[in-house]
Amino acid sequence: MSSGKFKQIVGLVVLASLALSTYSCTVVSSDEEFFGSTTPPKQNIFRYVNGDEPTSLDPVMSNGQPEARLYMALYDGLVEYNPKTLAPEPALAERWHINNDSSEFTFHLRHNGRWSNGDPIDANDFVYSFRRALAKKTASPNASLALYLKYAQAYNEEQVFVRDAKTGQYLLARDFVADLAPDPISTTPIDAAKPEYLPDPNELKGDPDTAFHQQMHTPLRLTLPGDEKARAKRIDADPKLKALVAGKEFVTVTEKDLGVEAVDQYTLRLSLVQQAPFFLGLLAHQVFRLQPQKIVEKYGDAWTQPEHIVTCGAFKVKTWIPYDKIVLERDPMNWDAATVKLDEIHFIPIVDQHTVMNMYKVGELDAVYNHTVPNPWLHVLKYKKDYMDAVEMAIDYLIMNTTKPPLDNVKVRRAFNLAIDKDAYAEWRRVVKPLTAFTPEGMFPGYPQPKGAKFNPAEARRLLGEAGYPVTQNADGSFSCPKFPEDQVEFIYNVQSANKLFAEWYQAQWKQNLGITVGLRAMEWKTFLDSRAKLEYKGLSRAAWGADYMDPFTFLSLFYTGSENGTGWEDPKYVAMLDEANRTLDHKKRYELLAQAEAYMLEQQPIIPIDTPSVNFVKKPYVKGMYPNPASLYPWKYIYIERDQAKWDYSTPSLAAD
Amino acid sequence: MLRFIVRRLLVTIPTILVVISLTWGLIKLAPGNFYSTERRLSPAIEQNIREKYGLDKPWYQQYGKTMWGIVRHLDFGLSLRYENQSVNAIIKQSLPVSAAIGLLAYLLALVVGITAGSIAALKQNTRWDYGSMALAMLGISVPNFVLGPILVLIFSLTLYWLPPSRWGGFPSWNLILPVLTLSALQMAYIARLTRAGMLEVLRSDYIRTARAKGLSERDVVIKHALRGGLMPVISYTGPALAFLLTGTVVVERIFSLPGLGNYFIQASLNRDEPLIIGIVAFIAITLLLMNLLVDIAYAYLDPRVRY
Repeated sequence: MSSGKFKQIVGLVVLASLALSTYSCTVVSSDEEFFGSTTPPKQNIFRYVNGDEPTSLDPVMSNGQPEARLYMALYDGLVEYNPKTLAPEPALAERWHINNDSSEFTFHLRHNGRWSNGDPIDANDFVYSFRRALAKKTASPNASLALYLKYAQAYNEEQVFVRDAKTGQYLLARDFVADLAPDPISTTPIDAAKPEYLPDPNELKGDPDTAFHQQMHTPLRLTLPGDEKARAKRIDADPKLKALVAGKEFVTVTEKDLGVEAVDQYTLRLSLVQQAPFFLGLLAHQVFRLQPQKIVEKYGDAWTQPEHIVTCGAFKVKTWIPYDKIVLERDPMNWDAATVKLDEIHFIPIVDQHTVMNMYKVGELDAVYNHTVPNPWLHVLKYKKDYMDAVEMAIDYLIMNTTKPPLDNVKVRRAFNLAIDKDAYAEWRRVVKPLTAFTPEGMFPGYPQPKGAKFNPAEARRLLGEAGYPVTQNADGSFSCPKFPEDQVEFIYNVQSANKLFAEWYQAQWKQNLGITVGLRAMEWKTFLDSRAKLEYKGLSRAAWGADYMDPFTFLSLFYTGSENGTGWEDPKYVAMLDEANRTLDHKKRYELLAQAEAYMLEQQPIIPIDTPSVNFVKKPYVKGMYPNPASLYPWKYIYIERDQAKWDYSTPSLAAD
Repeated sequence: MLRFIVRRLLVTIPTILVVISLTWGLIKLAPGNFYSTERRLSPAIEQNIREKYGLDKPWYQQYGKTMWGIVRHLDFGLSLRYENQSVNAIIKQSLPVSAAIGLLAYLLALVVGITAGSIAALKQNTRWDYGSMALAMLGISVPNFVLGPILVLIFSLTLYWLPPSRWGGFPSWNLILPVLTLSALQMAYIARLTRAGMLEVLRSDYIRTARAKGLSERDVVIKHALRGGLMPVISYTGPALAFLLTGTVVVERIFSLPGLGNYFIQASLNRDEPLIIGIVAFIAITLLLMNLLVDIAYAYLDPRVRY
């Protein structure tokens, strides 16, 4: 080819790509009020992209957010999230009362609850569902959220009680466990002189006392591992236990021991193993929603197949084509069917952000799930009236492997925290708020959230020096830290283009402020999780957490046991502080104690707080009754399509309670 | 011929078993589990899940159970990620999606590719030749993850003519963009293969003989040249069709299609052992069968090939 021709061709290619790029910019940056089409669908059908294809339609079998949203349409529980505040609202339970130390909950169910096949719902359905959620053979990944029920853990792990065959007496936990919390009212003998519940004008009669209730109100029994080997090991380690166990029988903990009781057809009583003031809020979680006993027993694990499934929510399954869509239709049997406004909801599983946004733009979707607007699009989308700008009940943070040097030294960990300018980071990201603590900022009204250390590079360098890694300033003003073992510290993240950008940002901060170059390593998601869980990584890793319920404890409990958080940091003092807080009944005092625990944890610095994310999604202005609440969980029955343009949403709807 | 087919089929079975065993081993070596999430499950709950799915058993028992199901009933078991959905059912559901897109794309590629290739060969070193070969070069060089979004940008987001993604059943407008995206590369390949094959055949003695006998140019090209010139295209068809039928990961992702390729990538990311094994085995079987079909077709088309 002659060079003239070649130049011509190159010129053409350059021209074509230039045309394409300007063209794509104009597509995104048009100055319309909304992003794309705003023609409402002809029918009352709501089309929603929900994230990934659901794992299962069984409410106790998945801990994912897409599933949680789906289950909220299909299954009711005792309580439901308020669409704006997420506070628990009556659902199948009409009203409830809680005993004086939040260790026993009595629920009165409405009499018109019905399954989608027309069967009535009563207290026994809840007893069955809670037992199934906790059964070992169900193997629910969510079981840990229900372990507050009395003997739930023992039942879930198929542990055993120790009983004297002759007297029928059980060995008690308090005789063998050193630092057992003081007994909550629910495990102390019923004392007629000291009423357990405050008087309630609605409950003049009081709830009937039963044999089971009396049995619950006995001191906590000792439970030992069900597995013989593990049990023998435990017994051998404790001479006192060994002496007392001799000649006694082991009785497996069964579902009948679980602290759930149908007092009568429409009264349900839950006995907890501890005081748990946050428990009511937790009850809206999917693990506490109903499963249909008859259908589960008839079809076994296959009960969730569309041809068998029976549900009890505002909507029921119409069709399900995996990776294409799940169509739900209004369930006329639902107790609150009169409130339901939509005829159908189409849950569409797509994860690719660009595909989702394209479909939204051409009007094939009415709303999308949280975190769907791609970062580079934000400079345009953020100013559209259908962009939902609200804080999420979640945090982005970094974890450090505290079991390997040099990050086993708290001074080094603090230095790494102080060297990151979170305000600058938040400004760069546009949709996040800077975070210095471990709970999202301003999310829990009245919570005296501790203020963590602010950006302070000089202090960071001083701390590194104290830890034995002096930082020196070079002639050009930059820093270096020659003694620091750079080969021992790297930053790991899961493969995703955005994560790489963020990682490079942190890397630049450490380089600029400490003179330390931290290597970056991208990992495939499951490999990344494995490396964190087994503490195989060296250095730092990205992490994120979204709340399971509206209480600071949902964040603070991540560090309650050392095995779940990927840092290796475990501290009995921290655990004791949390326990004490949860035993405190005064709401304000409890928050203060939780905040003290949080401050202590921040001081120990197993983590580096980064930001509180935004929900970051879009919904068409004609979609009403959908609020960008901090957990992105929606009671679907309130959502409707508004055809009168004057009543549309022309900005992010307010989350203030009515 | 029959003996050849039987022999080939017999070799296929151990090959597939080896493929399955290797896949099984690789999955076991991969770090992470299908149940691992951001917050690690408590050891007791992890144990419950491992017991439920038999992951607490020794490796040879797990291997034996997997293989027995496959050998005995051609049953790949239940997916771990998609609770209670059998792998066989998932393949049955997703195959038609992939096959529809793949077959249409290949048919389109054949028609356009062979036409363009033949024209290029017959009018060698003319504008037609350069033009079609430049286009073919472009088709080979532009990856489908670039072409797909560009097509979406033009036809969906700007002109609002075609839906940007998703499966709309068969037939539907939704098919057009993924089929175009998928066939571009195949088209280009086939055009180049046809051109090369035709050029070689056009210079051969039997074409000269045909012309000498006074056959019309049309007969020479269609009856003689094309038949010989398409041999490379036929041998390319086997593997190409096998891969197109069993799903193309990228195109199915871009257009959010519930095909086999989409499941394959998801299964690997989710460490969904039975599903990975099922799809790998299915792809292996399809590939081996397609190759066998190509060999048989060869024997019919080319009198020089004998088994």
